[in-house]
Parts: sequence; structure tokens; C-alpha cells
Amino acid sequence: MSRRPLPPGAAAALLAAAGTAALLADRIVSVAVLAVVLLAVCLRAPAERRGVYLFGALSTGLGVLLLSPFLWSSPDGTVLWEGWTFPVLGPLDVTTTELSEAALNGLRLTALALAFSAYALLLDHDRLVAAAGFARRSALAVALATRLVPSLERDAAGLAAAVRGRGIRLQGARGYATLLSPLVAGSLERATSLAEAMEARGYGRPGATRAPRPAWSRRDRAVLAAAPLVVLGAALWL
Amino acid sequence: MALAVVHEVEFAYPGSPRSLGPLSLELEPGEVVALLGPSGSGKSTLLRSLSGLVPHFHGGRFAGRVVVAGLDTRTARPADLAGSVATVFQDPEDQVVMAIVENEVAFGLENLGTRADRIWPRVERALGEVGALHLRGRKTAELSGGELQRVCLASALALEPQLLLLDEPTSQLDPEAARLFLDAVERLGATVVLSEQRVGRALELATRVLYVEDGRLLLDAPTAAARDWLEERRPRWASTTLERASGHPTRGSTRASEPILALSGIEFGYRGGSSVLNGAELSVGRGEIVALSGPNGSGKTTLAKIAAGLLDPDAGAVERTGLAGYLSQDPGRYVVCETALAEVALAVGGDEQRAQATLDRFGLGWAARRHPRDLSSGERERLGIAAVAVAEPDLLVLDEPTRGLDPDRKAELGRWLEQYAAAGDGVLVATHDQELPAHRRIELRAGSTQALQARELPVAV
Repeated sequence: MSRRPLPPGAAAALLAAAGTAALLADRIVSVAVLAVVLLAVCLRAPAERRGVYLFGALSTGLGVLLLSPFLWSSPDGTVLWEGWTFPVLGPLDVTTTELSEAALNGLRLTALALAFSAYALLLDHDRLVAAAGFARRSALAVALATRLVPSLERDAAGLAAAVRGRGIRLQGARGYATLLSPLVAGSLERATSLAEAMEARGYGRPGATRAPRPAWSRRDRAVLAAAPLVVLGAALWL
Repeated sequence: MALAVVHEVEFAYPGSPRSLGPLSLELEPGEVVALLGPSGSGKSTLLRSLSGLVPHFHGGRFAGRVVVAGLDTRTARPADLAGSVATVFQDPEDQVVMAIVENEVAFGLENLGTRADRIWPRVERALGEVGALHLRGRKTAELSGGELQRVCLASALALEPQLLLLDEPTSQLDPEAARLFLDAVERLGATVVLSEQRVGRALELATRVLYVEDGRLLLDAPTAAARDWLEERRPRWASTTLERASGHPTRGSTRASEPILALSGIEFGYRGGSSVLNGAELSVGRGEIVALSGPNGSGKTTLAKIAAGLLDPDAGAVERTGLAGYLSQDPGRYVVCETALAEVALAVGGDEQRAQATLDRFGLGWAARRHPRDLSSGERERLGIAAVAVAEPDLLVLDEPTRGLDPDRKAELGRWLEQYAAAGDGVLVATHDQELPAHRRIELRAGSTQALQARELPVAV
């Protein structure tokens, strides 16, 4: 018999704990394990939805790994590559310490982004909003903002097709950057339409009630209680 | 006693000229009122006045008085009116708040403070009324446009409003989804104001008709009298045969002309999905309009994109001569520039003279310096067509160009397409609309492999 999935409140707490643990952990192996576990969790999402999230998470980590050795300098470790010396910045080199620190920070950021991806892809945001208690408005705002990611992806593809359909070729990052402003304007327009629809449906009126929802089981409460322990464990031992 | 009273209302959006009024009317309980008029005529503004969104949400200059169910909208906010008035907007994607269907329908009830034990029964009843009970546990993001719009209608009905406002609710839907939606409206028995461009079906549903033009109410009459008025003054709006496939307005095949596009053996499948096209054949000659039809999801958009060179097929041959232009579905959403003039000039290297001439041709000359997002949805659709047509591509590919267009504009588009083709260019239109003129109609249908193939329909020449 398959087990009932965790309620989103407990799952969100666990994901937040995993992300925090990745930020607190000092050992590269520990962070790598956390990132791999979170990646495995994300892979449970449908292939057509997870692509953009995984690309974002992995490219962010890779960006940190590639750039930070040049932006942060450490006198320790063995010099692996030595470049020019720039005024103000000093010598441009890559040392083993810088590289290992870059890998650690890259993995931390990747793990954090993967925790967010799992939240966005796999959790029932409606139940999260319902479980939010006094912070319902904030939870709803976060849920709506999360839903904006796939909308943005769809709008970006639509904009690119609309421009190409007029015989204009978008070339390189600069070409696609021209779509950024209309993309943001389109998102704002969507947000305004949604706000209008919400107001027309009585959002913000005093005396709101909640539809009854299944109560939390003992297992769900245990998972919620375990989340701070994961963070504590990471701070002390990882 | 009237359910709603609109008395000498005038309204102008911030920084804009007056868009509504002076206008007065009363709505009686149980009426189904069809609200007709060209795009940008003030229909949406009138509906927003009835829900209190004008002036509370939009700001602007408001004069006169609107009283709905005893609440004066000058003092009552839209959220206060929400128990008495419910609105379904044009685009279902822009009004959905929750991720699961039943939670979406429950959202309004929770806001109104409905007793907790009554919420789920009302959700169930509302979904049942629109024939969407089977969608109850589905994710809203996975529903089709038609399904989603029915969920939006259920969300409005669950509130048990005295007045239901429908603002072109079928403009984003294909004919079958629109028919199902309007059938659901017919069964309601509530007071309904239906702003709609599918005039024939709206007139069948309505007991009374309002016709608005330039913000003024030109007609307020029972449906039978309104039909006579429309027949005489606005003949295109009177035709109840608009949506009926009473015969394709097929222009008869042109003589075999120089081919501009030839697709043969086209196969295509999206990554991670099943095959969409399997061996599709299609050709368009100079001077020819070819209409591409078929059920939802049959691959019309995919084939249109392949024809325009926006997608490469997995297999098959594409032969195209000259420049191709492509107009996507819902083009009003995909505007890039700050003014309508710049938007149209984009495809001709910033040639504003040419862009202005094209705007004039599409009846948008007055909007040249306006921001495209300030235009009405119908005006934005026309702007999208102008932005593609300005470069005068040899092959013009249009994907559902008549969605949201009023009958006058649709007829104008038809005439313009005929002129465009007559000038020696080719036109390919992916459309459900049987009214658009075409020399040939191609239907995409499932073949033996369940993938879709193009089939030429027999036409009367």
C-alpha cells in the first residue's frame, strides 16, 4: 500500500531546512550529498515542467563556480593558474583554496535553488496557503509569484515567436535582452488582471472563512518537528 | 424593483478621454442581456461600472450613480459587491488564483465568509451546473482554455450572485468550447449581462439587447425588436448565421499559380511528446488563400509555424519562396514597443511613414502614439496583424486571427485578406472560423497512426 504524501506545510518546512542546512554546512561532500538528494526529489516532477527550474539551479551554481575564483582572492593554497595583474584588483590567479571555496559556494547555491525548485514543482500550493494560518496573504503572494515562472517561460517563447514571425532575427544575448522589458510589462499586466479578478471575488474582505481540509497526522507533525533538527544537525556536524 | 440602476454614468480612465456615457439603464431580475458593440466601444467599462471595479480599481473620472442590489458603487468597494455581483473576464488564465480546481471555486466563497461546512457542497453544485464536476481535483494549469473558462464560470456561480457579468468570456475559446460555455450560461436562470462577439448565439440566449458605440447606448430593446434595429442599422451584427457553417465562403480555386509554399511528407513531434503531424501535405500558391481547420490539438498551429519557418519538421520537405510573416494566436499579448507606431515600424526597419499607412489601413491611425497595452483587446489583435502585414510578406500565415474581433472587423479582415491575395501574395490561415474567405480549405485529421494528416476538403466552385 502506498503511503499518503506529506502535507505541503511539512514538506515545505523540510525543504526549507534542507536549503538552510546546505548554507550552513562547511564540508563540500555534505553539501554535494544534499544537492544530489534535492536533485533526485526534483526529478520526480514531470519532465516538461522541471527543465527550466533545473537549468536555472544548475547554471546558477556553475556560474558561481566559474566566476568566484576570479572575484575572490585567497593567499592560501597552491596556485593553479596565474594571469595578468590589474590595478586595484591585483593579480588574477586561481588557487586550490579559491577553487574549493567556489565549488562549496556553487553547490550551496545549487542546493538552495533545487530546494526552491522542489517547492515550486511538487508542492500543493493551495494547501500550503490554507495551512498558513495568520500569514495566509503572504503565503498566497508567494504561491502566485511561484506560478509566474512557467507563465514567464511561456510568454518569453510567445514573444520570441511573435518577433521572429515579423521577419526579425533575434541574435545573441543582446537580441533576447530586448524582450526583457515587454516580458516584464506583460507580467505586470497579468498581475494587474489577476488583482482585479481577485478584488471582484471579494479578496480582502473582512471575515473570510476556510474550507475544511484534512487534519495533520502524527507523522506529519513529526516531520514538521524534524525540520529544525536538520538545521541544527547541519550547523553542528556537517 | 430593478436589480441594478445605472444613472447618467460617465467615466474616463486616468489620462484618457471619456470612454463611457452619459449612459442610463436598469436591469431587472432574471433578465439575460446581450451587450453588443465594436471593440473599444465601452462594453467592458460598463461591466466594470456594474461590479464597482470602475472607478475603485481603475481610478479615473467618474460621474453619475450605479446602484446594484441596493449598494451604491461610489461607496461600496468591489469586494463588498462580490456577494451580489460576479464577473467572468475574457482571459481565463488571467483570473485563476488557485492551483487546484475545487480550491479555485472555493476561493470566492472563503473570501465572502461562507460557513465552512457549506463551502464544499456549494463548490460541488457550481461545478455540476457548468458540467465540470469531473475536473474537481485537476490542476488548473493543466486545463484547456475552454475547461478553465467553465471553472471560472463555476467560481462565479458558487457565489450565488444576483447579477452575473460576462465580459467576452468566449473570446479565447474555439467554437466548440464557446458553445459548451454558452450552453452552461443558458441553464443558469440568473440575471446575466453577456458581452459577446459571437453575436448569433448571444442573441439566441438574450431576452434583451444593449448596443454600445463610442461609450453611448444606441439601442436598448427586447431581442426581437433589437434584431430589426440591427438588421437596419448594423446588418453584420444581426446575422444569426454568423457561427453556422451554412456553407464555406469559398471563393473558388484560383488557376494553378506559382507555388509560394509546398510542404510534403511533414512529420513533427514535440520533445517528450507524441507525434503531432505525420505525413502532412500542404501547398499555397500566389494569389491564394488557404484555410487550415481541424479540432483542438490537431496540429494547426504547428503546421502553420512550419509553413512560416518558425519550426523545422522532423522529416519531410519544405519549399518556400520569398518572405514569410507569421501572426501568432493572441497577438495582443505579445507587444514589444512603447507606441503602436513603433510596434508596426519594427518589421520595416523603423519606417514610420509605411507604419502609419498600415495603421490607417487597419483603422488604427488614431492610435499611432498610444501605448499598445492601452488599446482594447480587439484593437490589439488588429495591431498584431498590422505589425506582421506591414512588411508585405510573400506568404502571410495567420493563426486564429478572428478571435475577439467584432463582426465588422471580421468582415474587414476578410476583405483585406482577399485584397492581399489578389495582389499576388499567398495567405495561409489556421482558423475555426468558417466565415473567412478562402480558395481552399484543408482539414487536419487523425490518420491510421493516430497522428494527424492534412486532408483537402471538397469545395463548391
